[in-house]
Amino acid sequence: MTSVRHAVPDPADRSKGTPTVATKRLSAGLVGVAALALATACGPVASGGSSADTGGSDDGAGGSRLTVFISGDTNLQDLWEQGLIPAYEEANPGVQVDVVLDLHGEHDQQTVAKLVTSTEAGDDPGFDLVDAGFVVASAAEAGVLLEVGPDVVSGLADVHDTILTAGKGVGIPYRASSVLLAYDSTVVAEPPQTLDDLLTWIEENPGQFAYNSPATGGSGGAFVTTVLDSYLSPEDQEALRTRYAEDVQEGWQPGFERLAELGPSMYQGGVYPNGNSQVLELLGSGSIAMAPVWSDQFITAVENGLISEDVHYTQITDPSFTGNASYLGIPRTSDNTEGAIDLANFVLSPEGQTIIAEQIAGYPVIPLEMLPEGIAETFADADPTALRPSYFSENTDDMNNMWDQLVP
Amino acid sequence: MTALDHSAETARRPREARRPARPGGAGRRAERRRAAVGFSMALPPVLVISLFVGLPVVLAVAFSLGVTGGLNRTAAVIGQDVHSADGLLTTAAYEQLFADPRFPRDLAATVLVTVVTTLVVLGLATGIAVLLRLRGGWAATLLSGLAVVPLFIPVVIASWAILTFYSADGFLRSLFAQVGLQAPVLGFTVTGVIIASVWVNLPFALLMAASGMQAIPDALIDAARDAGAGTLRIVTRVLVPLAGIPLVIAGTFTAIGVLGQFTVPYFTGPNAPQQLGVDISKYFQSFNQPQQAAAIAVVVFVIASGVAATYVWANFRSAKQEGRV
Repeated sequence: MTSVRHAVPDPADRSKGTPTVATKRLSAGLVGVAALALATACGPVASGGSSADTGGSDDGAGGSRLTVFISGDTNLQDLWEQGLIPAYEEANPGVQVDVVLDLHGEHDQQTVAKLVTSTEAGDDPGFDLVDAGFVVASAAEAGVLLEVGPDVVSGLADVHDTILTAGKGVGIPYRASSVLLAYDSTVVAEPPQTLDDLLTWIEENPGQFAYNSPATGGSGGAFVTTVLDSYLSPEDQEALRTRYAEDVQEGWQPGFERLAELGPSMYQGGVYPNGNSQVLELLGSGSIAMAPVWSDQFITAVENGLISEDVHYTQITDPSFTGNASYLGIPRTSDNTEGAIDLANFVLSPEGQTIIAEQIAGYPVIPLEMLPEGIAETFADADPTALRPSYFSENTDDMNNMWDQLVP
Repeated sequence: MTALDHSAETARRPREARRPARPGGAGRRAERRRAAVGFSMALPPVLVISLFVGLPVVLAVAFSLGVTGGLNRTAAVIGQDVHSADGLLTTAAYEQLFADPRFPRDLAATVLVTVVTTLVVLGLATGIAVLLRLRGGWAATLLSGLAVVPLFIPVVIASWAILTFYSADGFLRSLFAQVGLQAPVLGFTVTGVIIASVWVNLPFALLMAASGMQAIPDALIDAARDAGAGTLRIVTRVLVPLAGIPLVIAGTFTAIGVLGQFTVPYFTGPNAPQQLGVDISKYFQSFNQPQQAAAIAVVVFVIASGVAATYVWANFRSAKQEGRV
């Protein structure tokens, strides 16, 4: 095509052509560089978010060095870096604690893989204490964590047996949160006490209740789980919590029908907000009078002033909303297991638990009598031992799907 | 457009090299070397695109059709309700989608929002552009300035702002309540999604329409007026046809953007019917059904390619008018 047109030299073409050829070359070169950069950026990245040397614990100058691995949000990073660690370092001069953060746990798979390989090789994995959701899940199953009990970590002696058992022998429960029923005390004089009361209240007060779609947050998920559970036998509930029980899922049908029936009585006749925080916003603005909320988020929101002090919370019974504890784990082959155990004990001490309660409104896992009065009062209505666990993750996925199909 | 320029450019380069026309092997060798340099320079973007965009697209399409081995194995192992092809391919994932009343409902809602938004955006953009072209003055300048504002506000912030503006306790309803009227609640409704989509997409369409109309010479408008054409006739017979190509381009960009949008319907939309962009994310993350998510993406892609065909046609026509092809 071009060779045909070539016969007539086109001045317009030339004047346009010459500078662009140079530009094109330059941009091609730039794209090449960008491509290289992209290729390197897309490679497997170390899950470290901190500049700290994760090479292990080279004991320098008599003091020891510890590395805490966190898989979670920045609130956990702040809890460790600005709360627990400074207090621990002050109490134990000479000890240096570093933090490695994997934001939102995006590299959990790689982290567990790394943990498994280093355990098999008998090497130090690069961190001594793990704060992550996989501690009681895949890491517990892979057997890469140190078995802990009150005999190893003395602080566990104060922790209630129920949540300790849920740690599968390797998880150190160190804080908990559950879903609660928050209500505007200026509108609701007497909050419902049981699930049945709650559902009746919702129907009697249309537009005053909201829960987020279960796919977008655990507080709505807890409400849905609780309604579904109320139609299931304890054995079926247990099956849904412990394994992928597709056969039992048929029992969800009446629960979903009930939820669909409640739809017109929901906020705006059937709006389910996206995410836990949108529900808190609605509660804060007075658009709704009652909602299921996460304990820690709710207490923080009240402290921040997002939600008025008139909004109180309670826990329903028969069945209660779900909740769970968070666990720490100690890698079996860590170079500094003693240091990690000592740090875990500090976290479980009244001092450590107070920091957790104050900073992220986490439920203490030790008896409230051991804590300062103010803290004990704040958490008086919250009972970490009565936490009802939520479903096994595959069942939760199916529940989210079926809810989306049947309810809105 | 750039693609066209680029190919014209690379094609021209050897031609210039040939101009000295040295006979013998030296010239041909130089030419070949230039061709090799040109090719190697074009290579990085081609490689990046094919590796980081092309390959995943091919894999996802194959995955939606039941190819669960090879590079799709991990996704197939982790995902739930994954259909593997017995033979070469299977449409089981698509069948499952269309059998579920949710999907046709969401598909219809997505197409509705796309069509309405595109029409409203084009209407508003043309209106402001015409005003700017024929009248000018402070009102037109103000309108066009206001319409470009959304360009500088992140979509997340805008969606949230629009939701709070139209929600049950929002500004609109508060304002109406002052005079004892009940304004409708538009937060969490399909209408709300359309309003927010128009807001997000107006600036680009307006820029295209305004530049298209500014390029129309005064002489044409004056000639039409001299021949007795009224303003309406000038708009429908002169301005819009002459700015047709930019308008088509604006329309296709708006339609494709709205078709696959996530943030706007996620914030402002109802739980049901939901837009496909949000559905893809729900199926992938919340329901752990990566295959069904890929199948929805393929459906969106097929619709978008229909719209994209219009864009290619418009580009081709404008290139033809300018004598580039």
